[in-house]
Amino acid sequence: MFGSWPSFNPHYFSQLKPNDPSSPSRMTPITYRPTHDRTLPPPDQVIGSEPKNILLRHFYEHAEEKMRLKRRASSDDLTPERASKLPRASAPDAASS
Amino acid sequence: MFRSNNVAARIFDRQISTPAPGTAVHCARRFYENIVPSHTIYDIECPDLLFRKFSDDGQYLITFSRNHQDLIVYRPTWLSFSCKEQDCYAHDLPSKANKFESYFTQLYSVTLASSGELICKDFFLYAENNQFGIFATSAAQIQNAPAVGGAIQGIPSIEKITFHLVRLADGVVLDERVFCNDYINLTHSMGVFLYDDLLAIVSLRYQRIHILQIRDSGNLVDVRAIGEYCREDDELFLNSSAQCSTIPDRNGTHNIGNELHHIQHISEASFLSGLKQRLLSFIFRSIWNEEDDPTLRMQCLKKKFYYHFQDYVDLVIWKVQFLDRHHLLIKFGSVDGWVGRNTDSHPAFFAVYDMETTEIIAFYQNSADELYSLFELFSDHFHSSSKNSFYMNFISTHSNNIHALEQLKCNKNKATSLPQFVKKMLATLPFNCQSQSPSPYFDHSLFRYDEKLISATDRHRQYTDNPIKFISRRQPNMLKFKIKSGPEAGSVDGRTKKISSFLFHPILPLAISVQQTLFSQSVVVNIHFRR
Repeated sequence: MFGSWPSFNPHYFSQLKPNDPSSPSRMTPITYRPTHDRTLPPPDQVIGSEPKNILLRHFYEHAEEKMRLKRRASSDDLTPERASKLPRASAPDAASS
Repeated sequence: MFRSNNVAARIFDRQISTPAPGTAVHCARRFYENIVPSHTIYDIECPDLLFRKFSDDGQYLITFSRNHQDLIVYRPTWLSFSCKEQDCYAHDLPSKANKFESYFTQLYSVTLASSGELICKDFFLYAENNQFGIFATSAAQIQNAPAVGGAIQGIPSIEKITFHLVRLADGVVLDERVFCNDYINLTHSMGVFLYDDLLAIVSLRYQRIHILQIRDSGNLVDVRAIGEYCREDDELFLNSSAQCSTIPDRNGTHNIGNELHHIQHISEASFLSGLKQRLLSFIFRSIWNEEDDPTLRMQCLKKKFYYHFQDYVDLVIWKVQFLDRHHLLIKFGSVDGWVGRNTDSHPAFFAVYDMETTEIIAFYQNSADELYSLFELFSDHFHSSSKNSFYMNFISTHSNNIHALEQLKCNKNKATSLPQFVKKMLATLPFNCQSQSPSPYFDHSLFRYDEKLISATDRHRQYTDNPIKFISRRQPNMLKFKIKSGPEAGSVDGRTKKISSFLFHPILPLAISVQQTLFSQSVVVNIHFRR
């Protein structure tokens, strides 16, 4: 499986690549594939670094919180603040394997 | 990580096992449990110097001459000698161990203060990436100076304050910045804050925060002066507008998006501009946003804002520190309170100001629980270590060390009144720049010591006859080493007041303790090192 990857010494993976191609079943390495897609990132996700340190973030958040409280009092619209978060799968049978 | 306390076993352990991720420095520091400055040489022969501190990278020892005119810089070396006997360790140290010059090599002595000026012996800031040092010299202080030229009443004036930028490698004075007829708090570098290459100097008399940049070439460049004006071109704009006789709408001057209520003043002189205007409009808007109902809103404004309006206008900048390259934490208070330093009768306020957007982000009173909880959780970030100073990230604070946090919680529980405790803790903000020693011997996870007798903060302490013990944390009750600043046999005269100061080298197991008798010139200097 790793035979075609570049490496210093192609014989490093000789254990995985069987010398005898007619019996591949004994040499198949164990692979894992996810059975769900909960951990996939959303298609429009952009990861960036936060320039403000955590203390400054708290100062800004406190200020925003006060503004948000005022806005929420004036309108009853409860749209979630961060739309980029994926909703959790609420179906109970997803947890059982 | 280490299974044994033996240093050789630890070295073998270090060869074969990797520390947990992100703890490489903490693991390396544990060797300081084995290598301690346990040997003391009392009353060494030393030139008559005023010791300031070791530079934070341990390369230089900064001292001043007794006459406060010269800067003398030493390089810490180590005592070295040869011994021809069979069992050298049992032997006493040679006589040269009693000399200051065996431990330190003088690099140069440079005169900073011209006649009539004195070097401020408590002031020293170190710009680590370029190895530049900042020193201050000042002339005589004039009390009861008249408040002219924009100065505020009640603050004394110093004829001339000069900041010198010195390249510590060779003692060349690269640049100077002079402030005339001004007042800047120089003791313990309180009025100046260095962050990376940015220097914030608080002119108390003219209520301005001067931001300067230290260039790699060694020049001090003015960036901005916050106070009357916020942006660099405000002064130009206001002057050109003032030339027009009628100004229909002044609201466009300072570019604030939200609605503003300018206070209409009669004369030009009382036009609140700059930082004060930002502060008042922030306070106004936050009270405005609390209530929706217009009547309640007006009542709230009257009670919380207009009733205290003159007090808010009279607030003066006391102290400033950087939180990052763009944000400042500014402490405001009343003019009288600055002199008295009494937190009860004169409330103090903290504001977070963004220099780039010229907006106030937050405003708290010194009794605010919200600010105290941020202080308790993130006190590291108030120490604002820039990426250039590696050692400063590892100073023990109650936010990064469980033992220090336990001590804080213990003090909090013992406090008689919680609001008083909060005020006392917040009175330490904004922190003095570079006031904590990065020495691993002050790391609370390695050693336990009496904070009242000695600590990482460089302040004079009351002298105590008993030696100060450093006890290991990991092996409880095991004494690792003792530091005593007095004469070996104890002091003969217990009545004269003495103060001790300690200078720990940031890396080597080397410390200097200085014991001074107040009101007399007698100074005793001791060296503590690992023999």
